[in-house]
Amino acid sequence: MIVCLAVVGHENNPLYIQSFTESDDALKLHHIVHCSLDVIDERVNNPKKSSPAINEAFLGLLYPTENYKVYGYLTNTKVKFILVTTDLDIRDADVRNFFRKFHAAYVDAVSNPFHIPGKKITSRTFGERVSSIVKPFGLNSAS
Amino acid sequence: MAPAAPKSGDVLFASVDRVNAELFTLTYGAIVRQLITDLEDVEEVNKQLDQMGYNIGVRLVDEFLAKSSVSRCVDFRETADVIAKVGFKMFLGVTASVTNWDAEGTTCSLILEDNPLVDFVELPDTCQGLHYCNILSGVVRGALEMVSMKTEVTWLRDMLRGDDVFELQVKLLKQVPEEYPYKDDE
Repeated sequence: MIVCLAVVGHENNPLYIQSFTESDDALKLHHIVHCSLDVIDERVNNPKKSSPAINEAFLGLLYPTENYKVYGYLTNTKVKFILVTTDLDIRDADVRNFFRKFHAAYVDAVSNPFHIPGKKITSRTFGERVSSIVKPFGLNSAS
Repeated sequence: MAPAAPKSGDVLFASVDRVNAELFTLTYGAIVRQLITDLEDVEEVNKQLDQMGYNIGVRLVDEFLAKSSVSRCVDFRETADVIAKVGFKMFLGVTASVTNWDAEGTTCSLILEDNPLVDFVELPDTCQGLHYCNILSGVVRGALEMVSMKTEVTWLRDMLRGDDVFELQVKLLKQVPEEYPYKDDE
């Protein structure tokens, strides 16, 4: 189950944060997202020798906390997508797929001539598309 | 030489040079954004877009008539059909449908279900009075004026404001007979 999605700009400014559960403290999720930014910076500055040059976008599991898993995705404009989920048996392929769709929705939102790059994403269509991508996510990996 | 038969919209669309649709959409979006930043008043922007469309329309109609070789339209109904089926298809790649004819046959609505100008666009709350596609109304008005028809073109429904289609109302005000600059008896 995805609990939180965040889009962070290239200067670590938040562009979009959405939590999908009411039970957990939103602040705690924001804090997790914030900490994961440090992990991303670390990964970007010290690339592992084994990382393939082709798909540098998907950073994979950033770090597992108590009951959450945090995945990262870096676009070539240094915009970071962060996914926090409670599923413990999630497949890598599912997360990659998710990020691909999320990236497509992000690109469409940013192509809006009224969107100012660097400011928060206020598009309602983007929010709806994100909800529709998030909903089947937990169902696929559970089955 | 026999005149060429009028070509259908699809054939014409396939024969003209194409440009990337996203480039076209993003360019138009940039124009509208810049107009809003420069003029700041939404009504002014609407007027400017209409004026720009008018300037495009008066030049576009010659290209349209040259490439499509449609014959003279008998009445306004045929004109509206030609605009919707051939004109829109040739220049925008989408076909419009014509509905809502009034009793005299001088007013109709062109319905566009798909509009390449508005891909990715969402109007912010500060620009709610903006007719984003006002350039299209100017184009239709300008083109018809060049073939001696004075019209009034307004938007009835706008997808960016929450409606389900774009509806453009075209009202024929006057058919202006062609004026010859020289008197016949001189």
